[in-house]
Amino acid sequence: MSHLFYEILLFPGIGYLLLVSVGLYWVFRKILAPMHKRVGPHFNGPAGSFQTIFDLSKLWTKESITPKGANVYLFSLMPLITLIIALLPTAVIPWTPTEIVVRSSYGVIIFVILIGLEPILLFLTAFSSSNKYALFGGVRVLVQMISMETAFFLACLSPAILFGTMNLHIIVQDSSWLSFAILFPGFIIFLIAFLGLLEQPPFDIPEAEQEIVYGVYTEYSGTNYFLLQLTKFAEFSILFAGGATLFMGGYKGIFFNGYLFLFLKMVFILFFMIVLRAGIVRITMQQMLAFCWRYLIVFSLLNLAWIFIAKALFMGSGI
Amino acid sequence: MQKIIDILKKFDIASIDKYKSTWVRCKLCSSEDLVQVAKALQTNGLRSLVTVSPTDFLDDNKIEMNYFFEDYITKRNCWLKCDIPREMQRCEIDSLTPYFKGANWSEREAFSMHGVRFRGHPDLRPIIVTQDFYNKAPFRMDFDWDKHEANQTQNIKLIVDELKNEQIQNDKLLGESDMMLNWGPAHPNSGPISLKVHCNGEDIISIDPDIGYVWRALEHLVTKKDFIEAIVVVERLCFMDNINAIIGYAQAAEEIAKVEITEFAKWLRVLLGEISRVTSHLMGIGGFFNTMGLHTVAMWCLDMREYFLDFFESYSGARIATAAVEPGGLRWGLQEDMLDELQKALDKFDDTKSSLEAIFIKNKTMYFRTDKVGCISADEVYDYALCGVVARASGVKIDVRLDEPYAAYDKITMDYITQKNGCAVDRLNMLYEELKQSIDIIKQAKKHIHEGIASGEFNPTKDHKVKFPKRLPKGEAISRVEWSRGEVLYHLVTQEKATNPYRLKIKAPSFNHTMMLNHLLAGQTISDIPLVFGSLYICQGDLDR
Repeated sequence: MSHLFYEILLFPGIGYLLLVSVGLYWVFRKILAPMHKRVGPHFNGPAGSFQTIFDLSKLWTKESITPKGANVYLFSLMPLITLIIALLPTAVIPWTPTEIVVRSSYGVIIFVILIGLEPILLFLTAFSSSNKYALFGGVRVLVQMISMETAFFLACLSPAILFGTMNLHIIVQDSSWLSFAILFPGFIIFLIAFLGLLEQPPFDIPEAEQEIVYGVYTEYSGTNYFLLQLTKFAEFSILFAGGATLFMGGYKGIFFNGYLFLFLKMVFILFFMIVLRAGIVRITMQQMLAFCWRYLIVFSLLNLAWIFIAKALFMGSGI
Repeated sequence: MQKIIDILKKFDIASIDKYKSTWVRCKLCSSEDLVQVAKALQTNGLRSLVTVSPTDFLDDNKIEMNYFFEDYITKRNCWLKCDIPREMQRCEIDSLTPYFKGANWSEREAFSMHGVRFRGHPDLRPIIVTQDFYNKAPFRMDFDWDKHEANQTQNIKLIVDELKNEQIQNDKLLGESDMMLNWGPAHPNSGPISLKVHCNGEDIISIDPDIGYVWRALEHLVTKKDFIEAIVVVERLCFMDNINAIIGYAQAAEEIAKVEITEFAKWLRVLLGEISRVTSHLMGIGGFFNTMGLHTVAMWCLDMREYFLDFFESYSGARIATAAVEPGGLRWGLQEDMLDELQKALDKFDDTKSSLEAIFIKNKTMYFRTDKVGCISADEVYDYALCGVVARASGVKIDVRLDEPYAAYDKITMDYITQKNGCAVDRLNMLYEELKQSIDIIKQAKKHIHEGIASGEFNPTKDHKVKFPKRLPKGEAISRVEWSRGEVLYHLVTQEKATNPYRLKIKAPSFNHTMMLNHLLAGQTISDIPLVFGSLYICQGDLDR
């Protein structure tokens, strides 16, 4: 019982996830700044590393304003619910060779569904704010969800088909360089689709600040906004970990296995995301839809066919 | 030129003369003829009505209307004048908007500022001013500003009431799925402007720009200063390129005072003006990418811009509002080692240029996003009297530096730069090409100044200015400069023995460009608003003045 509490509160539960989310946020800033040729403050802690914590604590202690006309209960409740739902998938991810909270044989499904729930919650958040810009954001979130999640699900399905299981733990154990090579097209599709799910450039359409003022986040301030931002970064961590687990062999390393390698893989995916953020412009809704349905989904279906063929050819077993 | 004079002579005219090399100045006897004359000019190629400038003569009890027509192709321009009565009820003239689309907002401005009513104008609502100035004509000489300011609370209440009323009206008028989106003035990408976007979902039905959030009444403020002091007002036209803004004003003042500036001052004006243009264009390029959520370019450009501002700081002591140019030359002399600071900036630009171009300016995703948005044809440029970067991106060859060379531009080697299609991406390319051109001009001017100093032709600490009289004779002048956003036309009027300007009209490019927004964006989606708005290179400072 005490072990369960340890898992919920510390590792890999709330404490760990908050830490890793803030840590990734810090890495995010540290990588993005030199690309922008920006120089941040040097004086907050070693090399200015406390700045992120200061920023977050500032946000967290600010006044939270509920606009007139908003649905008060929904408005205040949604940030908390989105955060909890975003933290849940941590239970099915094998963080270390021994640490996995829920050893379910449906790990992939749980992971995918919990991730897929988030946009609907964001839409409810937008709906409760009763703001025109937030409504635009909410509708865009839904449209993007419908188009991106199809590709995302199909990409997540490919390791499950290859290894013949939905148990994430077994997927990691069975992974090898060969499986990484076979899953590589699926991995690319996963990376593209998760940019859409996380609303990152070039698919940051639902929160385009220049167009619709951060969309669903428009009316949020203070603690509620902090929770929503934290949700986003928790989701980052979960999705990075999920991607590393599904396609890159999770905690498996070169000389030894361990959490370190999972973390490095997460940072690698983060790096990919940041390079795109620093070098690519946002596309429009129509272009996103066209890209998704004309190319991405077609390629993810082809990828499934490739997985079936590769499984028969290389993995030495029938379907 | 002669042809225009012949055409004008067919009408009932009070006076006609050639003004400068590219202008014909003509005064009509009767304002009734205006539409006929304008139509005749239009059929002869003068298709662009640049601006309308009323001058209020309190003593003569008349308002003199000034119309500036330009022909972008053959560079023949016409300055048309006519008198109308000054009494509010009789202060009327025929509108030219049905024939010249670009006159729309100019006439609305004249209506709000001077109370001139335009017969036949399709949409004669006040512009720029707030509700408390409606029907009061604040730029008329007898307007009592102190009395107006005394009623501050009452004025604010008027504005608030109007806003609430508008909200109620919107709810009644709009259909079920339509909505009125207030895009600004507190929008991350709008700047101090409010676009009233009438949209159905993401589709735009119409856009009505509501401008005037940074209206400082510069044109009025100038009349409260003497001729030298006025430079600090004029440079507030826009913080991004203040040098060229003052050059234009200074030229108009020098023309009335009949002061010829020194050769060295001319070259230094070119140098400073081009540096100012570079700082502005760097921000323009950054702003263009910012509208699509890419902040890297803006950071890189601002990084480069700092080096150029370092030069401004070493020359004038200020980085942004330099007040470096004044009527009669320049405010300060030049120490030759200041140019070393400039050399650092040029080196920095040359270092960064290739990676900026390879990564961002030729970015495929950016092309994918921008090459079919906000396209302006050459005909629209003529009709709406657009200028500068926007006009040249559509393939129209206009550039005041070449059409009517001022300062030392006649000795600079340069050529027109144009693009073909006039879409958003062409305007970006235009900015970038012009940036390179400006760097080239800076290098030429810098070299010439170095040589001049070495040969003893220039004395950099003494030659920078000639004496400018305190009192100016009665006169009237126009002066044009190629500002970073396009042509700025100053119309300066002075009275006998004047210590301060009687009237200064500033025709600013962003005014006409903003007028295009509804035309460009109706039928598009709201994703295109920031992009088109950003690519038009609008500065709210010169939009509202």
